Amino acid sequence: MDIKERLTNVFQQVFDDSTIELTPDLTADDVDGWDSLSHVNLLIAVEMEFGIEFKQSEIQSFANVGELMQSIESKLASR
Amino acid sequence: MHPNLAYACLTQFCENGLGDREAVQWIQSDLTETHLSYQCFEIESNRIANLLRGLGIQRGEVVSIFLPRSPILISSFFSVLKLEAISCILFSTLGEEALYDRLENSASKVIITRKSLLHKLLPLKEKLPELKAIVVMDIDDHVDEFVLSMKKLSSTAVETFAFEPLVEEETPAFLQYTSGSTGKPKAALHVHGALPDMLQSFQEVMQLQADDQYWCTADPAWITGLVYGIIAPFASKTRQVQYAGGYNVANWLTILSKHEVNVWYTAPTALRMLMQENEDKFIQYTFPKLRRVYSVGEPLNPEVYAWGKKKFQTEIFDTWFQSETGSILVANKPGLQVKPGSMGVPRKGVEIIICDEQFKPVPTGIQGYLCVRSGWRSMFRAYYHKEQEYNDKFHGDLYFTGDLAKKDDDGYVWYISRADDVINTAGHLLGPFEVESALLEIGEIGDVAVIGVHDPLLHEKVIAFVTLKNGCLWSKGLELKCRLHVQNKVSSTAIPAEFHLVERIPKNQSGKILRRVLKAWYEGKDPGDLSTME
Repeated sequence: MDIKERLTNVFQQVFDDSTIELTPDLTADDVDGWDSLSHVNLLIAVEMEFGIEFKQSEIQSFANVGELMQSIESKLASR
Repeated sequence: MHPNLAYACLTQFCENGLGDREAVQWIQSDLTETHLSYQCFEIESNRIANLLRGLGIQRGEVVSIFLPRSPILISSFFSVLKLEAISCILFSTLGEEALYDRLENSASKVIITRKSLLHKLLPLKEKLPELKAIVVMDIDDHVDEFVLSMKKLSSTAVETFAFEPLVEEETPAFLQYTSGSTGKPKAALHVHGALPDMLQSFQEVMQLQADDQYWCTADPAWITGLVYGIIAPFASKTRQVQYAGGYNVANWLTILSKHEVNVWYTAPTALRMLMQENEDKFIQYTFPKLRRVYSVGEPLNPEVYAWGKKKFQTEIFDTWFQSETGSILVANKPGLQVKPGSMGVPRKGVEIIICDEQFKPVPTGIQGYLCVRSGWRSMFRAYYHKEQEYNDKFHGDLYFTGDLAKKDDDGYVWYISRADDVINTAGHLLGPFEVESALLEIGEIGDVAVIGVHDPLLHEKVIAFVTLKNGCLWSKGLELKCRLHVQNKVSSTAIPAEFHLVERIPKNQSGKILRRVLKAWYEGKDPGDLSTME
């Protein structure tokens, strides 16, 4: 599975919605239940799925899914 | 007799030639704007009222609206009122169990929702025998005889709907769910006759001028968003903006600045979130038109008050009310000195009494139970289907709010804390029982207790103490499982910020959780008398 597929699985699990499809410009306003509190759960789930860690300053810094994917790719590349 | 809320908020204006007047400047999360007139809401609510009547909805039956903030939510609310049915707006972030508790207690006959939220409702279908249909706003065709397309139903619905403009004052209008320290959530029932209090409080506290632009950031599933985001501004023809998205610093500051908001009603948590933003986020914005900021939901700390007053160059007025009170009862307001950290003074005609445990008034400056003398018109009339819980909230004609407070020599009221175990997190009242019930469903969890502790951002955060069943180990994966279960079964606001693994949960000999002991442990304080501990 590529990063997008794995991340889609994470989103579907976190928001309990198997219909979620990821696009780079998808934002929290487009997904029911994605708020600042569930966002913390999302990032914990991403950390576990990809074996990476986000710094505190990164947690609220992603404007959309595209930026989150770029960050994951960058962290995986620098491992 | 009294005007039907929908007549007072919409129809009267359309009948009097004001239908084209803008009711709401609607701003999407991408900041695109739509100007919506009273006539728009009148026609849409007529269509929905017709389709609900076609589904058999009768006077006094409950229709739940499970949608994020949107024009269709507002139209749906008014459509239910036109039928003299009872509206129940539910937070779109609620999880399955929280939804079930509310839909079952209200015996909802129809739910209005959207496609992306259906997955939370469909598993509940078999457990809700009163439910006749789910109406989905954004599907083209009916799924089956139960899941119906609003578009298809309303394609044949006419744009007019005849209803009586006057109703009995005590006619039920809407339910507002709130949490208690024990048991399941309760629905405060409000009536059409509450309108004069809602309008009087809006005028007395907000003191809007004729052309003022007003913005209330609260979700309509919250009493503030419904009363001061929809009912009062619609009925008073107030110019207002509404924003579809959640908290977003750039969008919020753009709306305040570009849309020249004069009076802004928000929450202390929102102000604290803005306060945490980097200074450079504010550089490109000025707020020359912003004349007053109001807050509600939790206490406004003096340091946040001072920051906001400096940042927005205007006064900030904290206010207080509850789902049960239906309108603001205590407020800081223009014309009175603001005492930072205080809730303000009682509104005209409202009698606040600080009592001891025997419901006797305590002297000025002494902490006690915040009670209100019954008789204000927007008071809740019942906890829906929970008569005993309603009666328990009164002692004679005193309504017991569940808050601890004190009064000063000038009559200002100062919030101390909740008197019970209810957690106030970011303005949402949360019963520990709801979170504990969800966590106990997880196979590895042996026992659990949940408390609220002070948090600089949320006012209070949720802390969970858990024990594990034999052979189970705590891990990051198990923590995530717990967090997601609470998020999807209860709500994102209920997610514990911290989990603490303990050997046992402190309980008294009758099995009641000793939350004060847990709180003392957490805060490193003396837990006091432990003689009743099991």
